[in-house]
Amino acid sequence: MKKLHARNLLAALFFLFFVMGSSYAQQRVSGTVYDGETNETLIGANVLVNGTTVGTITDIDGSFSINMPEGTNELVVSFAGYSEQVIAVDGRSNIDIRMAAGELLDEIVVVGYGSQSEKEITSSVVSLDAEDFNQGDISDPAQLLQGKVAGLQVYNRGGDPNGRSTIRLRGISTVGANVQPLVVIDGIIGGSLDNVDPNDIETINVLKDGSAAAIYGSRGSSGVIIVTTKKGSNSGEAKFSYNGQLVSASPFNSVAVLDGDAFVAAGGTDLGSRTNWTDEVTRNALSHLHGLAVTGGSGNTTYRISGNIRDVQGVLDNTGFQQFNTRLNLNTKALNDRLSIDFTSSYTNRDQQAGFDEALRYAVLYNPTAPVFGDDSPFPFNSDQFGGYFETLGLFDSFNPVSIIQQNRNDGKRREFNMGALFGYKISDGLTANFRIAQQQTDFSNVIYYPTTSNFNGNATSPLRKGLAQFYNQDIETDLYEGYLNYITDLGLGSLTLTGGYSYQQENFNDNFFQLGDFPNDDLDFSNAIETSQDLQNAGFIAANSNASPDAKIIAFFGRANLNIDDKLFVNASLRREGSTKLGADNRWGLFPALGVGVDLGRMMNLNGFDLFKVRLGYGVTGSLPGPSGLSQETRNIVNGDDGSVSTNKARAANPELKWEEKAETTLGIEVASGRFSGVLDLYTRDIDDFILLRNVDVAVFGVPQRYENVGALNTKGVELALNYDVVQNSNFNWNTGVVLSSYTTTLNEFVGDSIQVTGNLGAPGQNGTNMIRIAVGEEIGQIWGPVYDGVDDNGEPIFADLNGDGMRIGAADQALNPDADFQVLGNGLPDFELGWTNNITIGDWGINAFFRGAFGHSLVNTFRAFYEPRISTQSSYNFVTTELAVDGLTAARYSSLYVEKADFFMLDNLTISRGINLSGALDNARVSLTFRNPFILTSYTGTSPEPSLVDGGAEDNGQRLAGDGNVLAPGIERRNNFFNQRSITFGLNLNF
Amino acid sequence: MNNISKFLFALALLTLPFACTDLEEDLVGEITTDIAIDGVSSGGGDTGGGALTAVYASLRDAGTANHGGYYATQELPSDEMLIAAKGGDWFDGGILIELHRHTYGANHAFINGTWAQTYSAINTCNEAANNSSLDANQIAQARALRAYYYWRLMDLYGNVKLITQPETDAQQSTREEVFNFVESELLDVLGVSAITSGMDLSNSPLSEDPNAYQINRYAALGILAKVYLNAEVYTGTPRWGEAAMASAAIMDSGLYQLCGDGCSVTNLGKRAAVASDPDELSGYAAVFAPNNEGNPEHIFTVNYDEVTGPNMNFSQMNLHYSSQFTWNLESQPWNGYATLEEFYNSYEDGDARKTANFIVGEQLDFGGSAVLDFASDDGNLVLNYNPNINELAPNSLREAGARPGKFSFKQFGRNNMDNDYPIVRLGDVYLTRAEAMGRMAGDWNAGLQFVNALRARAGVSEYASIDADEFLAERGREMFQEASRRTDLIRFGRYNDAWWEKPASESFRNIMPIPFDQIQAADPAFPLSQNPGY
Repeated sequence: MKKLHARNLLAALFFLFFVMGSSYAQQRVSGTVYDGETNETLIGANVLVNGTTVGTITDIDGSFSINMPEGTNELVVSFAGYSEQVIAVDGRSNIDIRMAAGELLDEIVVVGYGSQSEKEITSSVVSLDAEDFNQGDISDPAQLLQGKVAGLQVYNRGGDPNGRSTIRLRGISTVGANVQPLVVIDGIIGGSLDNVDPNDIETINVLKDGSAAAIYGSRGSSGVIIVTTKKGSNSGEAKFSYNGQLVSASPFNSVAVLDGDAFVAAGGTDLGSRTNWTDEVTRNALSHLHGLAVTGGSGNTTYRISGNIRDVQGVLDNTGFQQFNTRLNLNTKALNDRLSIDFTSSYTNRDQQAGFDEALRYAVLYNPTAPVFGDDSPFPFNSDQFGGYFETLGLFDSFNPVSIIQQNRNDGKRREFNMGALFGYKISDGLTANFRIAQQQTDFSNVIYYPTTSNFNGNATSPLRKGLAQFYNQDIETDLYEGYLNYITDLGLGSLTLTGGYSYQQENFNDNFFQLGDFPNDDLDFSNAIETSQDLQNAGFIAANSNASPDAKIIAFFGRANLNIDDKLFVNASLRREGSTKLGADNRWGLFPALGVGVDLGRMMNLNGFDLFKVRLGYGVTGSLPGPSGLSQETRNIVNGDDGSVSTNKARAANPELKWEEKAETTLGIEVASGRFSGVLDLYTRDIDDFILLRNVDVAVFGVPQRYENVGALNTKGVELALNYDVVQNSNFNWNTGVVLSSYTTTLNEFVGDSIQVTGNLGAPGQNGTNMIRIAVGEEIGQIWGPVYDGVDDNGEPIFADLNGDGMRIGAADQALNPDADFQVLGNGLPDFELGWTNNITIGDWGINAFFRGAFGHSLVNTFRAFYEPRISTQSSYNFVTTELAVDGLTAARYSSLYVEKADFFMLDNLTISRGINLSGALDNARVSLTFRNPFILTSYTGTSPEPSLVDGGAEDNGQRLAGDGNVLAPGIERRNNFFNQRSITFGLNLNF
Repeated sequence: MNNISKFLFALALLTLPFACTDLEEDLVGEITTDIAIDGVSSGGGDTGGGALTAVYASLRDAGTANHGGYYATQELPSDEMLIAAKGGDWFDGGILIELHRHTYGANHAFINGTWAQTYSAINTCNEAANNSSLDANQIAQARALRAYYYWRLMDLYGNVKLITQPETDAQQSTREEVFNFVESELLDVLGVSAITSGMDLSNSPLSEDPNAYQINRYAALGILAKVYLNAEVYTGTPRWGEAAMASAAIMDSGLYQLCGDGCSVTNLGKRAAVASDPDELSGYAAVFAPNNEGNPEHIFTVNYDEVTGPNMNFSQMNLHYSSQFTWNLESQPWNGYATLEEFYNSYEDGDARKTANFIVGEQLDFGGSAVLDFASDDGNLVLNYNPNINELAPNSLREAGARPGKFSFKQFGRNNMDNDYPIVRLGDVYLTRAEAMGRMAGDWNAGLQFVNALRARAGVSEYASIDADEFLAERGREMFQEASRRTDLIRFGRYNDAWWEKPASESFRNIMPIPFDQIQAADPAFPLSQNPGY
């Protein structure tokens, strides 16, 4: 791994201190300690006068100054991860020292409000840098981490270029909102990964457990991802670096359906044509990405400026985005070097074509004998009404997929602007005051337009009110202000670092929505056609909505102490008191403590053969806040009378006792390194109490059937293992392999008022009220629940097994919780364990990176099969899904074990072959690479993607679009709106000059 | 300034705007209880024009004429309406079949939804009834409507909680206690201690204004008449006399007339190209038409409006997808509700109500051409509603079943319909009076003239005499689609009979289960116990 240096540290932790042991100093020597390879300065290097106790450590610039006692001449300079050097001063007053890397590298790891040497850390923290990241066409920084960190789940479920990854650290930590980890970018809390280009990332640190995350208080429960962007260096002249990629992607693993002939043979309605709808709406997508960065600096000032351009196509026609991103990092010093200023700013401008994933869904179920265009209709068909396309009129939930994706548009524009400045002032030796001010602004707007000829939401079948346009815009502004002190001192038996401060964050959110339709025609661009909308003449057709958040504030006071005793015993403790406006008036403030202890047994007991044998134990309390504001307050709906009167009724019941969700977590970790081998084992247990959920309350009392309450408790127990081994190490051939493994189980311990329930509705057509996931106190999260398929009867209906042997077969959907019914657990939506396997091979100038990953033990409900595999005679106008699991003679669609499939998979996620080229002349060096993503996957799952579905988006039908937050208590359902996965080849070029 | 002073000064400038620990949340973006728009009432927050707007709007939100709530829970277990499973379509986990076959349980979504919607409506009434800034008439209206909702709950669930103040809890009451509450509340707002012949209503805070969108004295009497008519079911004690006297008082007021000859409205569903479409709807059909506002038969109605009064969705619920082209509907319908063939056939040809209540046969679009179903499953693309339903499940034909059309559709209809929905109408009062008189006398012919008045309006021959079965059948024909059939079947002891695709059911089915979600949600100090049999 690469070394981290001073310039990477936004919040300086190591400070100069003197041991005032010598009163007879004679000669004063000053100097700077550098990394011999990169010329970056090293903060906190030990400088000791040989043979004495006189010493110092280098300051934030890597510089030191020391008085040489009489009769001494040598300095001993040491720094974790580097070979110790003994240097003769020989009368010089200024010495630059260049350190060479030692055998075991000790990294500096950025943690909250500072950084620590890796050995001092007593919690589970994983640090990754560019060499560890996933390769290929990655536009979402979360994908850099997929499979790389034990216990970190990153799943995309499909190749939607505008989709976002689902990220979970150690499973679900909350049931309400904010299940994604807290992101901290260059010290700025609550950053958006949307505004970071993967090319600009130096390191990503993942704080996995509560004892590390507790310093982030009420937002730390879902884990913390700390992103540090690349900084400049004052190595003299400006250095340029170019990264370019060319990507070709195609869909794979679509849903197997009948072709036209087979469909007709199966009794389907023959509309005369033969159409492969999936082929009609997908494409071979070409993307290209370019990034250019320049770094440099002089004197006290360094800079790095980068720009990135991405033009990405999705495999679904008319999807993709074009993004421009730029970032500036500027670091300087003032006031006699006592004041350091680190400024960062970034801007992202993204135009996206989100398209309509419904086109993929309808491509699966649309009649394969239907023509694309109305002119090919077997019966008279007025295709002008539908823009020339054919439509199967009169059929529920059926829309020509080509028409959907070609006629309609769903275009968004996102602009993000962030800036932040950190001022560090060295008040005295060892004591530094830090002040950060930061602001993030996000503007997003989206236009969805269905022309008058679109059957899909465009109302083309209607004689009037044809066409629909929806406009949405939102802006979010977040201001952050923090002030904190760092103090470092030597207690004699070890060093003590203290941190304490105040944090204030305010978020304001506004959005507006309106929609109208009824355009005279599509001759004008719709934005000009708005003024001709007949909806302007008709009451009640224009829909409009706007929201403004209150000032959502989070205010905190925090402190931390780190004690390092002789590099053998490490103690870390922190405390954060934090309040939020989002909570009930009675419970706004919370206290979040943490304590961690680590012992380097290798050093303490002089274990032979071990470079490191550290055991650590950490405990921490963190919280989660609800996403939306106002949940603790009563709100009202406006009710209009036809006489113009206005009144209100209750929309939401107040809950002044609403409090944060609390997570208490204990992690026991063992870190071992010996020669070529290293490994980390983490065992943890976490208790989550008071999770916030919209729960059923007594409607007779509250007047509304649900309100937000702290309703339950979860426990997760897990184990994580990371192993690394240098299989081959010689001058021309190196092979490093690493494996991460993780496993966890989450149990529901309490659920006030809803001790048992089923959720995850299958949906229309015909399977509403069919809930597939069981949630019960004392049981695991993620249980797929249903009747067991036991054959087909003469009517073509499925027979359900009589599981309790009472002679009755009770499998009706609303009997799911009847103790006498025949239901059982059919699988679990969450994997038993997950695996990531990295291989880095270098042979001379060649490099090979092969990354495999897998998840095992989870199941998925294949909803495409559940709806469309049975050969329903009256449903002869939908195509039939056909897999090897299909049952002959089954003609009724009823959810059962038949549609719950094991979804274990093992895949080669990416394979990169690269070659470095040393160049003379204008270019310093270059690297070319070829990356294959998803080249192969082993799975028995018959749906589009065996990756675990950690969150359920809910059912949707008849062209409705999904809305609202996903249900994290209903994992394990593959919905019909899944964006097909893609397989890609990327050609990459990296030039440094 | 020296360096540290400079820094501290800069720090002070930076810090001042943020030094704060105030966490008050001011919900600027939402409507809260302290809303202070002039003339806006906070569920009865002041006496502005909208003081009872939310109270009456609650009828529309309480599932009165849409899918999944009170209407569905009353209609689908009866012998007048069903939803058949059409392939995968409309199976919905079997809950619709369960209603038809009387196998519903405590987890049934509609049974839970009806409960929640009704109590939400009661909460809105409670806010108004406890609002001291309302006048006596307004409070009486809110209390009367609340009593009506408690009648719905008592009729469906039997034993429920009587809550009369927002955010207070109460122990579960017996059905008889709820009956007594409903009775006393209605008597109180009528200003009398009992229903008697020639009683003096002048002490009632309710008005005599015949505006059917508000509860006046006769609306309250009409609700009370329904309660008394079913009293024996609820308490074991019949109250026929009071039912008859309350009905008589409404009729004797002279404020209301049956919509008969000369009572007509423009036919808003007419297709210019279809000559057989009448220009006007008259008589029975006019009572339920999209433009039925102010019909002389209306005593208390729900004010549905396509813009300001949403949630009547019969066109969506009942019609086949392709019927969109007959009425130029805003959206594609859902192809759900249909009538049992036997019920359809209980109407004789020539009965005006048969024509008004059902849509059958081949369908023509706006231009007079046949409406096609390109996904037709009977080999014929023409949409032809066939009163015969081939099977309940799994493969009912898509066009099977006569479709309820009494609340008739208008051209260019929106998803939300305009027709006002009667809670109390004079035709119903006629039948209540006739039945109460017949039962009290032990002779079904005692009130026959009121039955015959309705038959005459429908253009069918008058009865010479009538028995209980015929009375029930006649009541069914008149009251179709008015959410009355389940209650009527129970009162006549016929709810547990077998009918098409429905075996005989046990008598505990006459009371719906207390929803499982509600039992779980109840405060353990105020538990809800399940009804027998569930």
